[in-house]
Amino acid sequence: MSEENWIEVGSTDSIEEEDLIRFDHQDKTFCVYKLTDGFYATDGICTHEAVHLEDGLVMDDEIECPMHQGIFNIKSGEALSPPACEDLKTYPVKVDNNKIFIKID
Amino acid sequence: MKNNIIILGGGQAGIYAAREIRQNDSKSNIKILGEENLLPYERPPLSKDFLLDKKKEEDLCFHSSDVLKNENIEFENISITKVDFENKKLFTKNDDVYIYDSLLISTGSENKKLTLDNNLKNDIYYLRNLEEAKKIKELVSNKNKITIIGGGFIGLEIASSLSQLQKKVIVIEIDNQLMGRIIPKQIADLVQNTHIEHGNEIILNKQIEKITKKNGDYEILLNDNSLIETDFIIAGIGSTPTVKLFENTNLKLDNGIVTNQFCETSIKDVYAAGDVSNFYHPLYERNMRLESYQHAQNHGICAGKNIAGVKTEYTSIPWMWSDQFNLNLQLTGICNDYDEIIERGNDINNGVIYFFLKNKIIRGACGLGIAGKIGRDIRITSKLSEKNTIVDKQILSDQNQKLNKLIQK
Ligand SMILES: Cc1cc2nc3c(=O)[nH]c(=O)nc-3n(C[C@H](O)[C@H](O)[C@H](O)COP(=O)(O)OP(=O)(O)OC[C@H]3O[C@@H](n4cnc5c(N)ncnc54)[C@H](O)[C@@H]3O)c2cc1C
Ligand code: FES
Repeated sequence: MSEENWIEVGSTDSIEEEDLIRFDHQDKTFCVYKLTDGFYATDGICTHEAVHLEDGLVMDDEIECPMHQGIFNIKSGEALSPPACEDLKTYPVKVDNNKIFIKID
Repeated sequence: MKNNIIILGGGQAGIYAAREIRQNDSKSNIKILGEENLLPYERPPLSKDFLLDKKKEEDLCFHSSDVLKNENIEFENISITKVDFENKKLFTKNDDVYIYDSLLISTGSENKKLTLDNNLKNDIYYLRNLEEAKKIKELVSNKNKITIIGGGFIGLEIASSLSQLQKKVIVIEIDNQLMGRIIPKQIADLVQNTHIEHGNEIILNKQIEKITKKNGDYEILLNDNSLIETDFIIAGIGSTPTVKLFENTNLKLDNGIVTNQFCETSIKDVYAAGDVSNFYHPLYERNMRLESYQHAQNHGICAGKNIAGVKTEYTSIPWMWSDQFNLNLQLTGICNDYDEIIERGNDINNGVIYFFLKNKIIRGACGLGIAGKIGRDIRITSKLSEKNTIVDKQILSDQNQKLNKLIQK
């Protein structure tokens, strides 16, 4: 597990609580969320069709896709409501000096 | 107590009801009778990703046979041709009999057919099920100029898919706008422009007078005497609930099977859900019939609860979507009972939404945008209308202000 895998996303105050920001790195898109108990990260594109989840609605621990209301658990990535049926990939997040980092494999 | 529960109609409402019954009742026999030779599957991709080859047949089923087996839900591929509500029996054309204690009717809806005076019945294609989608996909592969009769959601989705397959597409609509009056004209016009930009021809305000077959191709005569030459015709002119089976019974029918907010029909132990049901919605204090994915799922779940004895009112806010080209259209609530309309945004790149308000409360909304751009606001709108929240119109109309400000925590 090398240090290089941790990528800086931005400062902790760049995300409002119960909200998310989109983060692009190389050719991939991620969503980074601020929930009541901390920061989380998932893939940024819905597993149903190629739509950015950044425009979705965060409700408690869930992100709802803006296209067809597929729902995923942000912490586990589990697809909770159709038409989404494939889980969303999640990524470890750490906060250091008010900066958010995600670990991309 | 162990009951025989039969679900007549193996579609979306049926499968969700079956699984919900099992969640609440581990003992009863649950059997789904479906006339399509496939486990319950999703229809939305049929007019979109299935035609475009982005989704295959095996991607469509809601659940695998393993899931049904684990939950002890039986699926039988059979068509019911007669019902006897008095003796709680269903019959097939071979007079096989199915006896139920509780029955859910989830027979869905079927496409209206064009009334043509000549022998062209088999020349016009319709899209409702996988068989028809397969047929259309196969046959259009060597056709070039395709005419769609009817500019409703399904017709336009097919038009969008066929255009992406490099076909020349003509859409003929009888009304003066696409997708029916329920859609704000401004949004219908934006959709129309997108079709035109992609090379589709849209003909409004025209009726079909006559279709003639000529050397394997067709000539369509319109009521202004113009003639369209085409090599394939698909009609999408609306649908009706699948209730023929019940017409001579005492089941109450009126634009579908009339149900109350508990999915109960006029006959004891008989329930109905999904496209086929004209249900009472307590929030709007009226009956309505919906043909949408989300409704089929939620209504099926609600019927399942009630059949299993967990009395549950159906209060879901109506919601549906249509995807055409890179656009996503969404409708929520009801858009035909309002005293004020408020517009949010005017550019499909950021999304355009029309809100329909009555007494300062949002009753419904219709939005259109590049994929993903309106979903969050439409979802928040559903929440606001569900809670009868009086809304600040300034915030509604200003795209720079987030709508979640309006949700009262
Ligand atoms: C092409 C297409 C595209 C769509 N796209 C969208 C979309 O983008 N967004 C959206 O929100 N909604 C969409 N919908 C609507 C949505 O798919 C339907 O509302 C939903 O499928 C309704 O579910 P249901 O269970 O009520 O009926 P269905 O899924 O139609 O199931 C009914 C089943 O009952 C069977 N049946 C009927 N009579 C009998 C009998 N006598 N014996 C045995 N079986 C019987 C039928 O064959 C069918 O399999 C689309 C529909 C179609 C057809
Ligand atoms: S694209 Fe996300 S649910 Fe369909």
